[in-house]
Parts: sequence; structure tokens; C-alpha cells
Amino acid sequence: MKKKLIVLIFCGFCLVAFQIHNTIVFKEPLKWPKANYDFLKNPLSAQKIELGRALFYEPMLSRNNTISCASCHSQYTAFTHVDHDLSHGIDDRIGTRNSPALMNLAWHKVFMWDGAVNHLDVQALAPISHPDEMDEKIENVIIKLQKTKIYPNLFKNAFGDSLITGENTLKAISQFMLTLVSANSKYDSVMRKQTTFTLQEKNGYSLFKKNCSSCHKEPLFTNLEFENNGLPLDKDLKDVGRMKVTKNSKDSIKFKVPTLRNIEFSYPYMHDGRFKRLSDVLKHYTEKVQQGPSLSKQLLNPIVLTSNEKVDLIAFLLTLTDKEFIFNPKFSYPKKIFSTTPQE
Amino acid sequence: MIVSFLSIPVAYSQSEAVIAINFIPKFENSFLILNDSIYSKKSGDSIQFESLKFYISTIELLDNDKVIYQEKNSYHLVDVSQSRSLSLSLKTGSKIKFTKIKFNLGIDSILNVSGAMGGDLDPTKGMYWAWQSGYINFKLEGKSKKCNTRNHEFHFHLGGYASPYSALQTISLNVIDFEKINITLDLEKMTHEINLSKQNKIMSPGFEAVLLSKKVGQIFSIPQP
Repeated sequence: MKKKLIVLIFCGFCLVAFQIHNTIVFKEPLKWPKANYDFLKNPLSAQKIELGRALFYEPMLSRNNTISCASCHSQYTAFTHVDHDLSHGIDDRIGTRNSPALMNLAWHKVFMWDGAVNHLDVQALAPISHPDEMDEKIENVIIKLQKTKIYPNLFKNAFGDSLITGENTLKAISQFMLTLVSANSKYDSVMRKQTTFTLQEKNGYSLFKKNCSSCHKEPLFTNLEFENNGLPLDKDLKDVGRMKVTKNSKDSIKFKVPTLRNIEFSYPYMHDGRFKRLSDVLKHYTEKVQQGPSLSKQLLNPIVLTSNEKVDLIAFLLTLTDKEFIFNPKFSYPKKIFSTTPQE
Repeated sequence: MIVSFLSIPVAYSQSEAVIAINFIPKFENSFLILNDSIYSKKSGDSIQFESLKFYISTIELLDNDKVIYQEKNSYHLVDVSQSRSLSLSLKTGSKIKFTKIKFNLGIDSILNVSGAMGGDLDPTKGMYWAWQSGYINFKLEGKSKKCNTRNHEFHFHLGGYASPYSALQTISLNVIDFEKINITLDLEKMTHEINLSKQNKIMSPGFEAVLLSKKVGQIFSIPQP
């Protein structure tokens, strides 16, 4: 009996050790701020990340099984929807905003252009249920997933239980999104003193620090705050941004400051995708900022840039392109999962 | 083998004292029956109920304003269409005497910003707002001819955790029986002041949700014998 107990305790130890071994520790890039996400409540593991990746590319999240997260968040365009000012979802229905580029989400506190979502884990619920995006219910999603051949196994491997729950589905999607870290652009190499800027990029960086970095704060290239950047209200969309959530008029037409990382790929720009080119964006900031009571105090004094300076600034912005991120095979469509065990 | 190992401590534990809490939804003196029954408001309007779900959380027992028991992980979804969910049991360990029960109607702000959770808090329970994060504390749906809406439906989804529109209500009731606490909630008290022709839909946090939540906080009572 005693022997049995010792064996049992030993087995228990192995199990715990295995669990610890299995946990992936999230590491912030050198000199970056601490991530905001509470990893203790959802410890990363290879199996959960892989499950989340499958779910990210899974069209069963939508009512008619046609739209996945990746439909509007394509890796090759920095996980956003290019070529469309307003993103479109199920049945070609058009939404009211440009899908945000997904990266470095572990540092964010609230999500969406207006901050209506308060935690990464519950972010996916918004597009799943939105009638113009996936038009589905999370209740149905888990029923559909449970009926497949692959998902009960993937959930068993990830969470130790083949019974699929809303909680585990959402936590797995979070895990994949948390791995989408972009921190290896030319800018990052320069900061690590592994390479140097060209003269033009260097000049652009000085201009950036003088004119842009208070809102597009390094190293995330966003201060994660809500600002009115002087865009006139679109008369058709009438999108009041943050005010829709807080119901406070001081938040009128404020939107979450987007990151500038991988901006080369994430066009068109602004919450409604109204600018196609970076030059249009700079033209807005130098010539067209609309005054108003909620205008960002950073924009009260006009930004003045010569045409040469604009070229230099854009040269700097292009150093924020992270090819390793854009082409990382770990983030792409999980062919292996979807092909080795065919779905029903 | 693992099962037998885990069950050892249970064998040594003593039988626990349990306090039963039952929620009894009513409309005035009638027991509430979803879907079929038609009730009459004092104003003369008829009203039917199709769904009633709410969260009860942070249950405490007090003896003369001193907290003597706090339930751990205290959150429960009460869904009138699932009769089992109307009864809760508190495992207090030993028999205790108390004068009051206190609980929250709804989910507090900390849990509201804690991401995806399981059990009764799983977002698949239909009590979570997708477009703007947060739990629905109290959900009442039904029909009344007074409602000039599709199928004469009314929808009251009350919630909101962020200031200044926090809808959470703390309810404190005097207790008579130490083993069985029967708590009545009388929907007549909630609906009698609502003019359903004007107000038949609340589906987001805000001033209206707070105002009606306060009213809902007052429909709970422990009837005197």
C-alpha cells in the first residue's frame, strides 16, 4: 500500500513537472514595457496556441461557415483588411470601420477603435456576433466545433477536456493573438545597435520624435489612448467613436491611437480607412486638422513639414516594417492541423 | 488509482451544514409561469413573460451587521426556465445563526473586466454583451399588447459596471429561518410603474438601465410568516 502511494505521488510530481515544462513563458522584447495581459489566468502552452491558431482560421465561427478571423485580419497585410476602407464580412455586408491591424496585443488594455471591449479574451465575441461580420452566436460555435473530428481532440490536448466551452474557446484564441508580437523591424535593429538608419531615415526619425511620438509612443508606436486627431465626421457613418461607449461628449470622435508598426502593409489608414496613402495621412496632419472641443491637445499647434521632410518621415515609417512578423510561418494558415485530420 | 487517492480526504470530512436558498418568482400573489400565463397589471394591461435570468453574487450571511459567512467564488446564474437554478445551497461547515442575508444582483466590476470565465459566467450563457464587454445582470423578456414593437415584445437587459452607469444592486434581507431561505421576487413591483408603450427596450448600459436596476433591487423580499 505504501509503495503504491509513493508511486502515485511520484506520478503526481511528473504530471506537475510536465505541466510546468509545457507552459510557455511570455517574454517582453528588451527594454519594452511589461505586458498588460495576465498570463497567470491563461498560461501559454504550445497546444493552446496551436488550437487558437486553428480557431483564428476557422470559418465555422461565422453563421454560414464562410468568414474566419483571418478574413479581415490577413497575416500578409499585418493582420488587417487591405484595399477596403470599410471591412466587409458575411454575405458581403459592409461594416462601419476599417479592421484594426493585430499585433502586440498583450500590451493593450482595451480593444477596438472605441475601446468597447475590455479584455483580449472577450474580444472575439464582438466580431462573432456582429451581423455585418460573422453573425453567429458563441453558443452555436461551440456546438459546431464539438461535432467536428478535430476540435474535441485539440481541446483535449490543450485543456485536458474534450468538452468545448466558451471560456476555453476564447482563451485559446487569445493565446494565438498574444503570440502576434512584432518587434523585429529595421527600427528595432537600429535600437539594438545592430544596424544604422540611412541619413534620410535618421532625419525622418527626428521629425517623428518631434511631431508624432507623443501619441504614437515608442516602442509600441501607440500610447494606447483615445484621441481626436482632427478628422471631420463622416456624414454617412456619423461614427462618434469613444463617446458611443462612455456616453460622455468629451470623448466625441475620439478613436484609439493605432500602432504605426507595419504601416507599410496596413493601408488604408484611419478608423474608416479614408486615406489610401501615407502621403494622404501627412497631408491631413499638416493641412486639414479640424479644430473642435475634443481635439487632441497634441494637435493644437499645427504640424509643419516641408515636402522633403514628409519624404524623410515616410522613409522612417517604412523602417517599422517587420518582415519576420509578416511572413512568420507560425502565424499562417495551419495547413497541418486542417489537412492531417479532415474536418467533417 | 488517482480517483481513490483523491477521495481519501473526503472520507474524513464531516457532514456539512447546508443552508438552502430558493428564489420564488411571482407576479403579485401568483407564481410566475413563463410563456403561457397572462398576468394583469393594475393599469389594466396584460403582460406575459418569456425569459427571466439574473446573476446572484457575493452572498454573505450576517449576524447583527457582522459578516459571519462569505460564499467562495460566489456567483450564480438563476434562470427561471431551468428550475434547478432557482435553488442554491450554501455549505457553511457548521450550523450558524444569522439575522440577515446580503447579496449582489449582478456581477461586480472586477469580474466584468477579468476576461473569459467558465461555469455560470461562461459567455455562452447568453448573459454577456459582445459588442461592448460586460455582463447582463438581469434579463427580462416578454410580451404585452401595450408594446408597439415587433410581436409586442419587450426586452430589458440590465447591466453596466463602469462609472457612472454601474447597475449592480446590493440587496440585504432579514432572515427568519436559518436552514431554508425563501426569497420572493415580485415582477409586479418592477413592471407596475413602467409604461410599456413608451419604455419597452433597454439593451445597453446607461442612465435608464441604472434607474430600472434600482427598482429591480427592491422586488426581492423574504415574506414574513
